[in-house]
Amino acid sequence: MNRQRRVIKLCVVISLAMMLTGCWDLTGLDEKVFVIGIGLDKADEKGKINITYLIANAEMGSTMGGGTNEKSSMTITVRASDFISMKNIANSVISREISYDLLRLILVSEELAKDEEFIRFIYSAIKDREVKRTVHLLVSKEKAEDFFKINKPLFLSRPHKYYVNMLRRANEVGLIPESRLHYFLRITEADANLFLAAYTTTSIKKTEDEFRADENDAIAGDMRVEGETNNSQFLGAAVFLEGKMIGTLTGVENRMALMINDTTEVSDVLSVFPDPANKDYQISVRIKKTKNTRVNMDLHGKTPKIHVTLPIILDVLTDPAMNSPVESKKELEKIRKGMEKYMEGRVKELVQRTQQEFKAEPFGWSLYGRKEFKTLKEYKEFDWMKTYPDMKVDIDVSIRFGKFGEQPKTPSYKEIRD
Amino acid sequence: MKQSEGKIGIRELIAIILLSVGTKLTDDTPSILFSTANNSSWMSMLLIGIMSIIPVFFLLKVFSVHRGKNLHEVNIHLFGKVVGNIISFGVLLYGFAALVLDSATYADIISTMYFTKTPFLPIYLLLLIVCGYGAKRGIEQIGATAWLTLFYLKITLFLAFLISFLQGEFKMIYPLWGPGVGEIVKTAGRNLSIFADFYYLGLIAPLVSTYKSFKKGTLLAYLIVAIELVIPLIIFVMVFDFTSIEIMKYPYHEMILYISIGFLTNVETIFLPFWLIATFIRFAFYLYLVVLLFGGIFKIKEFEYLIPVMVVLVLFAGLAPQYGVFTISHLRELLLTSLSPIFFGLPCLMLFIAKVKGDFKNESSKESY
Repeated sequence: MNRQRRVIKLCVVISLAMMLTGCWDLTGLDEKVFVIGIGLDKADEKGKINITYLIANAEMGSTMGGGTNEKSSMTITVRASDFISMKNIANSVISREISYDLLRLILVSEELAKDEEFIRFIYSAIKDREVKRTVHLLVSKEKAEDFFKINKPLFLSRPHKYYVNMLRRANEVGLIPESRLHYFLRITEADANLFLAAYTTTSIKKTEDEFRADENDAIAGDMRVEGETNNSQFLGAAVFLEGKMIGTLTGVENRMALMINDTTEVSDVLSVFPDPANKDYQISVRIKKTKNTRVNMDLHGKTPKIHVTLPIILDVLTDPAMNSPVESKKELEKIRKGMEKYMEGRVKELVQRTQQEFKAEPFGWSLYGRKEFKTLKEYKEFDWMKTYPDMKVDIDVSIRFGKFGEQPKTPSYKEIRD
Repeated sequence: MKQSEGKIGIRELIAIILLSVGTKLTDDTPSILFSTANNSSWMSMLLIGIMSIIPVFFLLKVFSVHRGKNLHEVNIHLFGKVVGNIISFGVLLYGFAALVLDSATYADIISTMYFTKTPFLPIYLLLLIVCGYGAKRGIEQIGATAWLTLFYLKITLFLAFLISFLQGEFKMIYPLWGPGVGEIVKTAGRNLSIFADFYYLGLIAPLVSTYKSFKKGTLLAYLIVAIELVIPLIIFVMVFDFTSIEIMKYPYHEMILYISIGFLTNVETIFLPFWLIATFIRFAFYLYLVVLLFGGIFKIKEFEYLIPVMVVLVLFAGLAPQYGVFTISHLRELLLTSLSPIFFGLPCLMLFIAKVKGDFKNESSKESY
């Protein structure tokens, strides 16, 4: 009797395991293809967009079984109403179920991003649970379709690896902003700040005169890179106001914006400053930011005022003038003052540009501003975005020196040349 | 395991309360608060926590003189047979409605957030069958399961919120007073019944080993739950900001879909099973309470056999509303609002009548023995 009961119980337990398959949602890994990137382009018909899929080949690169000769990825472009219904339309050419589970980026062409309609299409992303808020939003100079077609990285040919690494690294060094869809939605809905999206292109200028003089101040497509390498550049930021692209920031401007904005983190920034001792050369520095930006506000006066202090630590890495400034305190102080002034000037330029050109700020100052108000109503009446262009913004950069390279002193140039 | 004729101890009681009230922050209760109190919802919640202590305290006071009686029996004793039964029946209806709407909401969460292709019916059916089975095993088993799983569930929940806290931005909780003090208080008043579960706890009062542990357990669990409900509301705002959170239906699930632990993305698969277990325990408990009260009113001794019938009733009631989620969440809001004054008023009335009837005099003389 007891034995029989035990058998029955066991049967029930085993049959319960069948539920683990997930009922109607049952799928096998080999029955799916994974879309890594979605490209959005303007279509010739209103209410529709051209959608490009970058689909990864799961068989590629697996060492087991020797691998195949198949390509690592493929792209298809179809005109559709949105990228949810596209899933099924694409099945007319793709044999397996299309999944967004591994979706890493949504690439929008500049043309579409500057369109009023763009916001309608991007918002379908929050309706689908497979599209995560961690997906990156990128803007490409050319058509997204072309970008995916042309961009064939030499190493890391598996697309998900390439894009994830590229975006992470470029963000760490501050070349592009961390442009998660989550931030886009949050900032667009809060309606007070600018959203920065990573800017990229494969259409790189060919003739020499078209390059910018300073490679530090370039934007994707302007950088002169020679040799056999990947044919895309990730540099700079696309500026979004109220869900519509209105302009671009260069790599350095983007880096400054990120550094002032405490909500994002740039961890490994190498940059150059003009050497105060010798105008022809530039000093390389590593910029570290260990403390938060201090923002003081006086919003209730006639013209609202913001005072921003940006504390940074600089490691001076080179000494092209070769006069070992470490040895003299006075010399160091001179360099420090010079750098502070230089940086303040650059930041001020950027702030001015945001006030005049964009009429809103990407620095997240509105978050500090919220503290100054008691209720949401007061805050909304103040209307941060409207008031910002007329605000008086003061920037203070306070630099502290960190290390001076592995070997702080260099022999004097004159002595060697002697 | 020691046999104790279907009674539970203090830790089981605490575990049950923590799981059944605590899981409310993972459904659409936060979004009901956010829709009116915006970024200051946590203040409303805090206010609810402070105000709700009054009815809970009164209730405990009433039960202190009616040890060994459950809520229904106390009602009969205080209000007389007719009125007592009517009140109990009303309480039963509210309990049933809450059970239907909450379970339908949870089935909706599972079907919209996790199993998108599976139809609503099998998910709902499965949920209710599992909970029905749990309820059939009785309060002792529910309590034991709750206690066993409590720490795993709370640790994962804590982890999810900790990660979100680290990824969130604290400045977003400003402007501190959100939509204004008036709106915060109004929201609190409307949703007072978030703690109405404590009223229903009276039903299992005689099933707790001693009155002392019932009182201690309830108050302790109350304190923990109140804190547990306030802090996540702050964290939701920190992650999503006040404008986005308003349009969000299930913030907790959006949150676990969003966060990542280092290189691990898609971490919701870690949190989902734990959340499901908490859900099962919660509805098993609700189902048990409803059936217990039903059995009490209609004098059915072997009330456990009513559970299959009740499951079917809940299933059909939960499937009935058209346009699924929207009707259900609307009804849920209505339920919360209408239950709030009842939840606040009834215990006060009970204490008042008990005082008038002189129940407390008996008690003090009894205790002196």
